Amino acid sequence: MQTAAPFLQLDRVSLARGGRPLFDTLSLSLSERRVGLVGDNGSGKSTLLRLAAGLLQPDAGEVRVAGHLVRDERPNTGFLFQNPDHQILFPTVGEEVAFGLIEDGMDASSATAQACRILAEHGCGGWEKRAVHELSEGQKQLVCLIAVLANGPDILLLDEPFSSLDLPTRYDLRERMRSLKQNIIMASHDIDLLSEFDRVIWLENGRIRGDGTPESVLAAYESKARMGADKAKSA
Amino acid sequence: MISGYLARDTWLHRIPAGTKLLALAAASLAVLPVQDWRLLALGLCVVLVLFASLGPDALKRLSALKSFAPLLAIIFVLHGLTGDWAAGASAVARLVMMVLLADLVSMTTTMQDMMQALMPLLRLLRPLGVNPKKLSLAVSLAIRFVPVFAANWQARAEAWRARTGRRASWRLIGPFLAETLRMADQVAESLDARGFAHKRRRG
Repeated sequence: MQTAAPFLQLDRVSLARGGRPLFDTLSLSLSERRVGLVGDNGSGKSTLLRLAAGLLQPDAGEVRVAGHLVRDERPNTGFLFQNPDHQILFPTVGEEVAFGLIEDGMDASSATAQACRILAEHGCGGWEKRAVHELSEGQKQLVCLIAVLANGPDILLLDEPFSSLDLPTRYDLRERMRSLKQNIIMASHDIDLLSEFDRVIWLENGRIRGDGTPESVLAAYESKARMGADKAKSA
Repeated sequence: MISGYLARDTWLHRIPAGTKLLALAAASLAVLPVQDWRLLALGLCVVLVLFASLGPDALKRLSALKSFAPLLAIIFVLHGLTGDWAAGASAVARLVMMVLLADLVSMTTTMQDMMQALMPLLRLLRPLGVNPKKLSLAVSLAIRFVPVFAANWQARAEAWRARTGRRASWRLIGPFLAETLRMADQVAESLDARGFAHKRRRG
């Protein structure tokens, strides 16, 4: 399956979080277009995504994105957080989408025009004037996605972005994700969504507990979760 | 009131931000020396007409003045107790007029335009160590998060009511502040992820 060059490589990465060791010489190489991360809360999914984005640096070991050390160069990744309210920085949609473009050196008026174009391309024409606080959760998350895509990232890192959305919105965003050309790493509890990914990695306490096709890994993860629930019932 | 940008296109939206800010400054200065409450009341009527010209959703925002009412009442009564009810009426009319004028500008101007208009002024502050870009981001963030904080407080107050049956208490302030600080952390991380103050590798 590993034909393309890896877009993310972890080489003996160690990292402590909150004073407790999480990753201990973890090595991993990802080259599949869409990779899913599963695991219980606290298993290291979010931390792994943050390492790939360069938001966290390892205590030891190396992280490379597209062959470049993350330590030396901020990789061209787009990060989608779980809660859009922690991500949206501006009062109106247009400003939110234009922000990343301005940060990349575009002047404000071209960035605004470009933001309007990008919104229209995603079927959100005319949203630029809308106030962010009037949007629904799903619309907010969509704005986050569009704002991130506006910068043309090579890799999308998604940290359970759909967990608080209703079903129709979830399906809509899922459909949009299918048509994206970027490499995607997505942490999720949505077994259904991950089942169409190319590879799934199951993390447990910072270690890789399962790694392979969605069918095999998701089934194992689910049955383990069920076993935990059965144990709790009989106890 | 500060949070509500009116997401619509009105004639006031189309006037450049710089012009609106200058007009606001000029109007505020002009109103200050006026003592006659009747003139001020007339001015207030003009402002209300301006609100009405923007449509019913703009008029609806006037109800936000309610939270302001106790303060106005105190000002009015204090003036009255010193024997000058007319001065009280003037002070109240002047204050309401200035607040409403400022609201007219803030509800028809995006933060980006506002900051663009203020940039020349902010640049003058550069020798004092002020970074105009960071300052404008800070103002934007403040405006963006007012409704988020309000919703957070509301959620907490609701949870408190659901579990105690009583009205929200000052004891919610601690957890609210803790949550706010945690959120500030997450927003900082998101700024970082969006490449603020970082150059990203391209291609």
